[in-house]
Amino acid sequence: MRLLACFLLVVSLAAQAPDAPKPADQSASSAQAAPAAQSSQAAPAAQSAASAPAAAPAPAAENQPSGDNWLTGSIELGYRWVPTPGGTDNAYRSVVNLTDGFRILNSDFTILDPHHWLFDRADVHTSNWGDPYTTLRVNIEKHDWYNLTANYRNIAYFDFLPSFANPEFNQGALLDQNSFDTAIRATDIQLDLLPHKWITPYLGFSSNTQYGRGVTDFNQESQYNEYPVASLYSDLTNNYRAGVRMEMGKYHVTLEQGGTTFKDDQGASDMGPNPGNFTGLLFGETMPLDSMDELYRVRGDSVYSKALLAANPLPWISVTGQFVYARPRTDVDYTENSTGNFLLQRILQFYSSGQDLLTGDANMPHLTGSLSVELRPWRRFRIVESWMSDRFHGASDALLVENLLAGMPLTDQQLANERIVLRYNQEEVDAYYEVTPYLTLRGGYRFVWGNTDVTAPILTGLPSETANLHRNVGIAGVSYRLGQKFRINGDAEGSNSAQAFFRTSLQQYEKAHVRAQYDLSPAWHVAADVSLLNNSNPNPNVQLDFSSRVESASLNWTPNSGKWGSVLVDYSRVAIRSDILYLIPQSLQPTPSIYTENDHLLTTLASFRWFAVGGSMFLGSGSRPTQYYQPLARLTVPLHKHVDWITEWRWYAMNDVFYALDNFRSNQIMSSLRFSR
Amino acid sequence: MRNNLLQAVRGVAGIVACGFIPWVAMPAPAASDAPAYVGSEACKVCHEEIYNNLKKTPHSAVDTGARPGWTGRACESCHGPGGKHVESASAADIKNPDKETSTEVDRTCLTCHLNQRTPGGRIASGHARDEVGCTTCHSIHGQGGAKLVLHANAEINAKCSTCHISQWASFNKPYKHRLIENAMSCVDCHNPHASIRPDTLTASFGDEPGCLNCHGDKRGPFIYEHAPVRDEGCTACHEPHGSANPRMLIRHEVRLVCLECHSNLPFSANTVIGGVAPAFHDLRSTRFQDCTICHVKVHGSYADREFLR
Repeated sequence: MRLLACFLLVVSLAAQAPDAPKPADQSASSAQAAPAAQSSQAAPAAQSAASAPAAAPAPAAENQPSGDNWLTGSIELGYRWVPTPGGTDNAYRSVVNLTDGFRILNSDFTILDPHHWLFDRADVHTSNWGDPYTTLRVNIEKHDWYNLTANYRNIAYFDFLPSFANPEFNQGALLDQNSFDTAIRATDIQLDLLPHKWITPYLGFSSNTQYGRGVTDFNQESQYNEYPVASLYSDLTNNYRAGVRMEMGKYHVTLEQGGTTFKDDQGASDMGPNPGNFTGLLFGETMPLDSMDELYRVRGDSVYSKALLAANPLPWISVTGQFVYARPRTDVDYTENSTGNFLLQRILQFYSSGQDLLTGDANMPHLTGSLSVELRPWRRFRIVESWMSDRFHGASDALLVENLLAGMPLTDQQLANERIVLRYNQEEVDAYYEVTPYLTLRGGYRFVWGNTDVTAPILTGLPSETANLHRNVGIAGVSYRLGQKFRINGDAEGSNSAQAFFRTSLQQYEKAHVRAQYDLSPAWHVAADVSLLNNSNPNPNVQLDFSSRVESASLNWTPNSGKWGSVLVDYSRVAIRSDILYLIPQSLQPTPSIYTENDHLLTTLASFRWFAVGGSMFLGSGSRPTQYYQPLARLTVPLHKHVDWITEWRWYAMNDVFYALDNFRSNQIMSSLRFSR
Repeated sequence: MRNNLLQAVRGVAGIVACGFIPWVAMPAPAASDAPAYVGSEACKVCHEEIYNNLKKTPHSAVDTGARPGWTGRACESCHGPGGKHVESASAADIKNPDKETSTEVDRTCLTCHLNQRTPGGRIASGHARDEVGCTTCHSIHGQGGAKLVLHANAEINAKCSTCHISQWASFNKPYKHRLIENAMSCVDCHNPHASIRPDTLTASFGDEPGCLNCHGDKRGPFIYEHAPVRDEGCTACHEPHGSANPRMLIRHEVRLVCLECHSNLPFSANTVIGGVAPAFHDLRSTRFQDCTICHVKVHGSYADREFLR
């Protein structure tokens, strides 16, 4: 963070170099592909601004360097004031999590090396440095030599809702016993050598880590008490890959070999005494936890091979395919020590200390392949045939040694062998017919089949559970375009299968989706989107009836191609209803589980040169009635040709009708300076 | 593990070496022999702005010989021979991809870009199915740097949301991935060209769901796997775009997420997977109303078959 801040400040200072800065070459950026493309790009810019808590980066057009400027771009530095949020602070942090302080909100730079020594062009984008979600993207290229892309993301994951996962909520305790205060960092770097050549080798590295602390529950073997304890999270996954892309006229091949390493060192501890969630007496005794520590030591690795093929062997045929084989595995060492008063259920005896030692390993060879062939026997008619197969076979062994002190030492050993198998296959054929150059009809058929085996839960009394998948799907679609102004796509599919993997899986379903866009004029654009899904499982023990309907409409006004400003209105309506039988555990009586959700989502933004006002609103009713508001107002004052002073007000408010302790509201003021060149 | 790493190193070395093996000469496109080509310099006379812009993009590599047979003809590699157009100055005498159907535009682009970062194959993608052409997202004459497409998260999200209105609206729900805040973009999870995973989900570590790029601790393989996580993926329990329910769950109460599957009676070895919840939990007690209080490792456990630790 500090290094980046220094770098960006130095860059911004360099941007104020003595040479009189010339405005970016507007003509270069104005020559975009097509009028239609221009109009379609103006709309989302406003939409993005409506949704961005920080001001969106300067338009890309401003960042196109002219031949004279070796550096162009902008940086926005500011300070956010966040008064103490009203309501529950932990709920605020779980949803918004913005805090006071200095921020590098956005920076967006393009650097050209006039001498073309180390690079031709470098692009740097950063956003939200100092906030709980930070990003950095760097792209450096030297024509015909290399292209280096690096992405970095650091997202804080704070989740502590007082009303969620809290067995003692009714007793006034506000401890989310399943909570997290962690950060997830992801890095991805890829170096393409000799881009634009027939053969392009590449190297890549990705890293993902999560670390932090939280609260979790500690369970001894008995079901009579559980104890909220402090937990620590620390895992790291590294991925190394190298490959080569070969483009040979009609044939294109990519070969990649990669590998991952993985480690997970999470743990939990408590120094007690901890009464746990059960504070009563069991057989006349309380069941406190006096101390515990738990440590996972997981190490894993994986090797994978990937091959891609795309070919146009003849003018009327195209082929693409992919093959991936991966072989992940993990080794596990787990230790757990605890003292207190616990009940060993299988012999109905109390014990005062326990130690569990587990060692095991798991592996899961995974094979995925796909092949698609497009045939174009006639100019207006084409057929696309696709096959896909995904299969893995997981197997694991574990040895658990339990040492208990129940008056006298007891030792028990358990050896476990687990397995999970998936075989998933899909074949689809689609026929496209261009009735006119602007109307295309599509019809198809998809057959999905497979099976899965898994070690069965103990209570079933079965060694394994098996489920088969057998799904016949009919497909239809239409695409219609009226000039450059109107476009509509429709897709529909339906299936009447009798077998699925799970009770809630797609079984007998119909799905439809229609999307339309219309440019009323160069300044006015409307769009609409409707999707429907009905799914049912008539099995007498299931009786699933699910329906989902989402309707969205968007209106965008961008006078003078957005140079004066824009107005956006976005509205969505969501209606979900699910009804399925489930068994109440204590009585095993079938009972309907009904979930309903009726949401209205509205986003508006009127954005002009000096000010913007708008925001979003979520009004949900049904099983969890909730309202969530995010209005904003922004004032931009130009101080200098290259300096703007931006002041932004935001308001976040959550109102959960059933769980009032999850509510919060927060005013925020951000004042920032944007330097551009 | 050591053997696996050795194999990986050997594989990487082999592939990198393969990249430097001199390749057989590639055949030049037949069209390059057509006499009506005039070259990019001729185009520049009238279309200087576009020409200058194109010079800043990777497509300028066509002019400098990246595609044998097209040297000095970058413009005509997409627009076709320009000889007649130069003579008549009529727009009708030159191919204008902007006025072609998206399918025809795609064919032009895929002549060279058939396999670049398109893991599942463009022809099987949803965008191809709905005839959303390359130029809908890619600006051929410039803007966007190396890929002719927008790079900043905010700009990518804005582009996608132009069509995917309802998906974008979901991110305004209280529990969501942080796209609104520009911490992520749509292409972090979806490959707009195509993917071997359903819903154009990106793949991680070869063929795993792209969710694991950030949630690597959920990958395993675990000693004790939870079948729906493997067989149906994260969306069996989560709404990844946004949800009204904490943890982006599909139900307002955690127990219902679990019990809707774990309610299989009578038992049978060949129906659906899920078994039945333990019968001694009394859901009237708040202690048992949230299964993940005790079953903390619902994504898979290294130490307990019932995901208790």
